[in-house]
Amino acid sequence: MNKNTPLFATYSCNTKLLDEVFDSKGSIREVYKTIFDLYKEHSIVDFETLNDYAKTSFFNQGITFQVYGNNETKEKIFPFDLFPRIIDHKEWEHIEQGVLQRSKALNLFLEDLYHDQNIIKEGIVPKSLIESSANYLKEMKGFNPPGGIYNHISGTDLIKHADGNYYVLEDNIRCPSGVSYVICNRTALKRALFGVFDKYKIHTVNDYSQNLLEILETVKPKGVDKPNCVVLTPGVFNSAYYEHSYLAKGMGVELVEGRDLFVEDNFVYMKTINGPKKVDVIYRRIDDAFIDPEVFNPDSVLGVPGLFKAYKAGNVCLANAPGTGVADDKAIYTYMPAIIKYYLNEEPILKNVHTYHCSRKEDLDYVLNNVHNLVIKPVDEAGGYGIHIGNKLSKKEIEEVKAIILKTPRKYIAQPIMSLSVHSTYIEAEKSFEPRHVDLRTFTLLGKDKSYVLKSGLTRVALKRGNLVVNSSQGGGSKDTWVLKK
Amino acid sequence: MLARVADNLFWMSRYIERSEHIARYLRVNYFSSLDAPNEISQSRQFVLRSLLFMVGHPVKDDSHVEETEVLYNICLNPKKTYSIINCVKLARENANSSRDLLSTELYEAINKFYHFVLNYSTEYLVTKGLYDFATHIIEFTAILKAKIRSTLLYDEVYAIIKLGLNMERATQVIRIINSKYNDIQIIELKKEEGVLVAPTLEWDTLLRCVESYDMMRRFTKSSPNSINTLDFLILNHQCPKSVINSLLNVSQHVQQLSDDNKPKKGSTAFLVNKLYAEYQYKYIEEIEVDFRTFIETILEKLVEISKKMEEEFFYH
Repeated sequence: MNKNTPLFATYSCNTKLLDEVFDSKGSIREVYKTIFDLYKEHSIVDFETLNDYAKTSFFNQGITFQVYGNNETKEKIFPFDLFPRIIDHKEWEHIEQGVLQRSKALNLFLEDLYHDQNIIKEGIVPKSLIESSANYLKEMKGFNPPGGIYNHISGTDLIKHADGNYYVLEDNIRCPSGVSYVICNRTALKRALFGVFDKYKIHTVNDYSQNLLEILETVKPKGVDKPNCVVLTPGVFNSAYYEHSYLAKGMGVELVEGRDLFVEDNFVYMKTINGPKKVDVIYRRIDDAFIDPEVFNPDSVLGVPGLFKAYKAGNVCLANAPGTGVADDKAIYTYMPAIIKYYLNEEPILKNVHTYHCSRKEDLDYVLNNVHNLVIKPVDEAGGYGIHIGNKLSKKEIEEVKAIILKTPRKYIAQPIMSLSVHSTYIEAEKSFEPRHVDLRTFTLLGKDKSYVLKSGLTRVALKRGNLVVNSSQGGGSKDTWVLKK
Repeated sequence: MLARVADNLFWMSRYIERSEHIARYLRVNYFSSLDAPNEISQSRQFVLRSLLFMVGHPVKDDSHVEETEVLYNICLNPKKTYSIINCVKLARENANSSRDLLSTELYEAINKFYHFVLNYSTEYLVTKGLYDFATHIIEFTAILKAKIRSTLLYDEVYAIIKLGLNMERATQVIRIINSKYNDIQIIELKKEEGVLVAPTLEWDTLLRCVESYDMMRRFTKSSPNSINTLDFLILNHQCPKSVINSLLNVSQHVQQLSDDNKPKKGSTAFLVNKLYAEYQYKYIEEIEVDFRTFIETILEKLVEISKKMEEEFFYH
């Protein structure tokens, strides 16, 4: 490593971890040489100015979230790092094929689960796992969604392990979020470091909204020529509201709230200044439980009474389909290699992290004896909540975790502690770059006879030294992610 | 366009316009009074009371008003409904609820505006920053209006925004005229008490408060007095901020939202056109003879139009 570079003067490479920027000898990897040379030219003061500029860009774009204090509400931005992650085209091809394969397999799996359940009959996925899943919607049984698509939008979380391979950590096929940050990170980086972009051939991220609209239009209800698509948001106070409005704007469609919609004779309408207008496709960013108080949570004020009936009548399409949560359950994840083989007759392109399922007696015994070497995860939580990392726990805490698992084994899975790769990240408090753990969320779209994978992703960074949890709700930041052209 | 979103856009533009008029009234009155030719106009208490009158919180007794408190309340006190910071917050809140329909350029400009006001130091404002703050508000709102004009599709979204701007402009210009008219009445009273003052300065100030001084001089080629000033600001079609021009704009934009060529009786378009027609054939002496009644009547009618709009377009 070049110790003459002030920004990297205190950077230390840990040989046990895979550093994506520096190799095991501390030399800069080929793909990062050009951008590293650029940073070499910057003093710490220069870099702080750029960093402030990038932050202002986020404030001006309105990409903020609220922090509620005692007397006042403050707006904050999600931390953004100026050092982009670069993925070369070969590596990306592998990722793209892998995530697309998973999305297709998951769609076929959902179709089977809500129809004949052949995969259960053939003993590949245990019946008990589906029956005990809170996310299996019996209301969807026997129903054919428009275009035969359930998971129109999938977010796949990947990590790069010390062995250099990408592993899938989890699939998100309910309402995966984060795509707007991919695009805004690019915007902010372009504004701050415009000089470096002509040195690399990078795939654009600006085509996501157009592809999303085209995908939504492929799943229009029967008899509709040009569908009226909308984005359904819980409202302005939702933490992902920025993303909802961004996508609606990007697609040029209306951003609606539940109160803007009503159902009449099993058709959905939105209330416009010129009276009711029929809605055909809804990209909903509201969880299943809240979409229709007549069928699901009766207390929901976010949803639309009668929406599910209109959906079942085939007069409106919901993306993603209700009930997809049963397939992104972390317990189902264990069976993904078998699911891919069963439906596609292909070997899984992306590796699964070996998973111990606590509902299995032999796995449970192993987990209870090896908590210190494992990551324990609840199967139905998102946002990094409820995760226990064994080697960070005290003896007392390990016993507490064991007790929690034993109470409801079905609720937990365990995985070996994977060493997420690290990436050079600017740490404001230290005024220098330091290695930090990163993961990658990719975004895949599935429509009727059409699919698309965004050639980038959300690289999330665990900003605390040594931390493996990258979720923004747990203090994580993010980076722009460049996929290089051939 | 969604009815709820139309409501948001309408109020977004009203609050943008309102913040501009308050800032301008504040800047022009405060700074023109510093070297005013008579003691009354130069009096701090007189100016501060005028500011509070304009924002709708007149001081009803002779009690002393504290300068720093008044300036803070009008500019940066989030607890005062009339403050500029509150207007900007509400403008941005309404923009947030409809940001998918706004251009990125317009939304970013609103955000910059919001962060500027939010981060402005109170201490700096009341000691050194008054001119800077007010000028920035005026410039930010000019940028916003340029972004509205040059980056939005000229469709119903544009029509709603322009409706809000013009409704608010008509209302604020009337409020400004009323405030200065009130100041002039106070000066006239002093005159009756034997104090030697000429209210001409206040007519000048009134014109400057509506950014119309230079053009009025060019148009009339004479010193401002009650008749030519009020005529210019209320009835002159060539004055961009005149009340009649705002009414004409409101009428045109309402028409854009309506499918009917002939407005239905009692509809928003009908009420606006009726009011516009009435003022087209008014002459200023008619208004000046009973100015208080004019102010009350026109404000009532604007409120009636606004209510009708809400009923017709926003609550489907």
